[in-house]
Amino acid sequence: MDFIEFGMTWMPFLLEGVGVTLGLWAVAMVLGFCLALLLVWGRVYGSKPIYLVATTYVEVFRGTPMLVQLFFIYLGLPEIGIVLDPFSAAALAIGLNTAAYQAEYFRGAIQSLPSGQMVAARAMGMSRFQALRDIILPQAGRRVIPQWSNEAVVELKYTSIAYAIGLTELTARAEQVGYQTFQFLEAFTLVAIIYLVLTGIVAQSLDLLERKTRIPGLTYTGGKME
Amino acid sequence: MSDNPILRVRDVRKTYGGVEVLKGVSFDLERGQSKIVIGPSGTGKSTLLRCINLLSPPDSGSVILDGVTVEERGINQIRAQIGFVFQEFNLFTHLRVLDNVRLAQRNVLGRSKREATKRALEELERVGLSDKLEAYPAELSGGQKQRASIARALAMDPKLILFDEPTSALDPELTGEVVQVMKDLANAGMTMLVVSHEMGFAKAAADEVIFMEGGVIVEQGPPSTLFTCPEHARTSQFLRMITHEHEEG
Ligand SMILES: Nc1ncnc2c1ncn2[C@@H]1O[C@H](COP(=O)(O)OP(=O)(O)OP(=O)(O)O)[C@@H](O)[C@H]1O
Ligand SMILES: [Mg+2]
Repeated sequence: MDFIEFGMTWMPFLLEGVGVTLGLWAVAMVLGFCLALLLVWGRVYGSKPIYLVATTYVEVFRGTPMLVQLFFIYLGLPEIGIVLDPFSAAALAIGLNTAAYQAEYFRGAIQSLPSGQMVAARAMGMSRFQALRDIILPQAGRRVIPQWSNEAVVELKYTSIAYAIGLTELTARAEQVGYQTFQFLEAFTLVAIIYLVLTGIVAQSLDLLERKTRIPGLTYTGGKME
Repeated sequence: MSDNPILRVRDVRKTYGGVEVLKGVSFDLERGQSKIVIGPSGTGKSTLLRCINLLSPPDSGSVILDGVTVEERGINQIRAQIGFVFQEFNLFTHLRVLDNVRLAQRNVLGRSKREATKRALEELERVGLSDKLEAYPAELSGGQKQRASIARALAMDPKLILFDEPTSALDPELTGEVVQVMKDLANAGMTMLVVSHEMGFAKAAADEVIFMEGGVIVEQGPPSTLFTCPEHARTSQFLRMITHEHEEG
């Protein structure tokens, strides 16, 4: 009973943090998505130099801790005159990071498609662009949803690293509640439940999208299509 | 042989990794003619078809379609005039049958949706798939897939259609329906170049047979002569081999 009362008291305060967390996540995911499209184009269809740039990007961002990337942007960049507020710095760091992962998932989806359809499209006179837009993209897009969903959930949790540069998002507010009430156990239980609900909603919505857009013969099986 | 063939292939050569796969191939295809290309595996039959529409551009030689040299410039407009039917069908997995047949009409030929639909329905009826318009490729049998892909090629109103082993990926009991569609096409005056060992089609519908081996055309002629009294020993050897295979299979 105590916990429910505790929850009723502090929930409004924590929910304000939910707004920041979700805002941060949404901006980062959109940024990451757009950048990932460029990266995957470079990785799959780019000329040698473009391929190398895109590959280096992916390796660097996947091979270093996100916290280091965040500090680099928030604490490091001011030395060369680029000063960002905590929200922008965190959105940028998470967005740049997720771009690398999303690009790899897109690439996997594209390369799992049977190559013959691209050949058939070109043989009928479609340009490469038309074949990409009308054949590769709709198919790879469907196949990538499960992995993209996973990535979206991972990044939703990762928004909590913004705490490290003083952004009062959800986790930071839970800590504040803890210090005010000295009920850390309750505070972090509550925040864990909130994260669980948020990630649950994201995962379920994308699962629904996957089922609604499903086409026979195009389901993701983790491997190459026949 | 007229001086105005729909397709003129002259001395086409193609090398892959230092190996010359096509060593100078020349032939003509007249309007309304069906030619069938036979020959052992690895002889360059698929490569020849892919050279004709520049899916694999030849290293030298020329391909002339209806008086126009096939070259990289404007290649998409030329490819639109050459149908291609693949062994593996290569239907677009995410599109229903009707959309498979409409897509290139829309984005390559620039036809209106209405016009594209009309042509698609006509060709799907011709191949006997009027009841499968809303099906996805994965919901079709192999024979239905191949007939859909033939309709997709036909709807573009091509000047000729290239077939690369259209029945080889099919279960034996399904080849008949595809062969029948191809025979009907040939009889209706479609110009066709068919790589296939389907003797039923060759005997009933081919005007000429081309026997290829080792990257060259060994001999060509009407099925009646080439199948009964071929000039070259290699041809008769090969024919014995494939009839033997067919009897065993
Ligand atoms: N893209 C390619 N890269 C390298 N070598 C190739 C390529 N395409 C074909 N070849 C080679 O060229 C030769 C001829 O191949 P092709 O596919 O044209 O033969 P085919 O007569 O169609 O044989 P099959 O009856 O088995 O289909 C083969 O040795 C093949 O390995
Ligand atoms: Mg072949």
